[in-house]
Amino acid sequence: MTEPVLEIRGLTKRFRGLVALDHVDFTVPEGTICGLIGPNGAGKSTMFNLVTGFLPPSEGEIRFRGTPVTGWSPQQAGRSGVARAFQIARPFPGLTVRQNVRIGALFGRSGPRDVEAATDTALALLGIEDLADRPAEGLTVGHLRRLEVARALAARPVLLLADEPCAGLNPAETDAMIAALRRIRDGGVTIWLVEHDMRAVMGLCDRILVISAGRAIAEGTPGEVAANPAVIAAYLGSEEQEAHGA
Amino acid sequence: MTTRILATLVFLAVLAAAPAFVPPFEVRVLSLFCFWGALSLAWNILGGFAGYWSFGHTVFVGVGAFVPGVIVAKLFDGGGAELMPLLVLVGGLVSAAFAGIIAWPLLRLRGIYFAIAMLGVAQVTGELSAAIEWIGGGVGLSLPDAVPAALAPEAFFHYIFVGLLALTIGAAAWVRGARFGQGLLAIREDEDTARMLAVPTEGYKIAALVLSAFLTGLLGATYGFSLGYITTDSVFRTDFSLNMIVHALLGGIGTIAGPLLGAAVMVVLTQVVLGEMLNLHLFATGALVVAMVLLAPQGFLGLWRRKPRAQREPGP
Repeated sequence: MTEPVLEIRGLTKRFRGLVALDHVDFTVPEGTICGLIGPNGAGKSTMFNLVTGFLPPSEGEIRFRGTPVTGWSPQQAGRSGVARAFQIARPFPGLTVRQNVRIGALFGRSGPRDVEAATDTALALLGIEDLADRPAEGLTVGHLRRLEVARALAARPVLLLADEPCAGLNPAETDAMIAALRRIRDGGVTIWLVEHDMRAVMGLCDRILVISAGRAIAEGTPGEVAANPAVIAAYLGSEEQEAHGA
Repeated sequence: MTTRILATLVFLAVLAAAPAFVPPFEVRVLSLFCFWGALSLAWNILGGFAGYWSFGHTVFVGVGAFVPGVIVAKLFDGGGAELMPLLVLVGGLVSAAFAGIIAWPLLRLRGIYFAIAMLGVAQVTGELSAAIEWIGGGVGLSLPDAVPAALAPEAFFHYIFVGLLALTIGAAAWVRGARFGQGLLAIREDEDTARMLAVPTEGYKIAALVLSAFLTGLLGATYGFSLGYITTDSVFRTDFSLNMIVHALLGGIGTIAGPLLGAAVMVVLTQVVLGEMLNLHLFATGALVVAMVLLAPQGFLGLWRRKPRAQREPGP
């Protein structure tokens, strides 16, 4: 097995009294698609904020390709090859689809190399080349999500953190997104995915980490996770009891 | 692209040739257009491209004009006319250095907070230039007459302002096309996403402010020489700060032609159409700005292009 792209050890984040993440461990092996699931408020977005340097962790360690990177800045993360597609798609509204993706290609991991080619590749891979000259403002949710992923992809990431890429998509669009994520993985990008759409999660992921109220409650293959009683309990709504120590 | 460059060069050549064909008053109006247009375009590098609106850009006009004024008073005893090009350059450089110093704390502020902080910097710096006796902004400073004998004063300054306009257009066009400019656009559109994409946001914002201040400082220094005698009130002018924003808004913020178009409209309106009615022209300016914000938030260029865009909050 090659070196893991991302290793998380004892990662903890406290916001004043609230513990958003509590000593979580996880490893994202190279070339895989991993999942991060859990009920709303479980700490999924906090996890991504810590990994991408938007927030400093309170405790614990993050290693990226074997190097300790705990507390790095978003720019350092971006330059090193971590790209992120936000949960609420955040395109640059005043720019066209192509300009958006081109900025990803101009910056990101390797800087301005083959900018136009990287832009075209990312647009084509997400199937939005026909929209290239449209302003990003006013795109449908489905197109916005694809733009979000295309811009992240154009940055030539090693690791793509995709925060609910299928949220708000209809079944056909979800299928297209799943296919695109597979192609991105086949192109050599490791993916860590937050997703509520179980079809997407179960179909795509090699390994899944389940968190609830900030704690890791299960980890394993999709089959193992789906059969885990703690996961079922968390998803069926008994997480409140659990949080209170019942 | 080349046609655009060609058209710009023809435009600048026609402007530069004006003193040979039109009377002095019209030359002055055209010089004013170059001055205002270049100021607005320099403001636009930070305000339009990066989305950081400065409400106090006149501070760089003031610093640019005062630096040669103080140097001339202290070192050349009112002389040094032959050093004008050097003095203008030093005015621009000190302006840029000043921007570099205030950039670090100020550019941590976003949106309206940065705008207001710049307003404060301009007010305080203006007050200091008047209050510190050594500088002498309250009484005023003389700048030497650098006009060569063969040229009329308005023609001499017109050539310089056309040259500075050309420089500013060149700088803005370079920024727009460069990776730097794309990074600034990303900052304007969504700074956090820009950071995530590894845009060096802090460095780019500082560079944009410093470049903008350098160009504004050159313009301020030249303006000072064209006045011949400067006081705090004549160069630290709040209406300069406002005009830079208004021109960019009128023509089309974030573009290169926009600020120039806005400046042209305002120069024609205030100097030609309403030149005889000084009391009316502020009223007309205000009315025009209100009308534009309501009817054409993207400026004249936006009207012309008719991009299918939803209305966005036009500012910080």
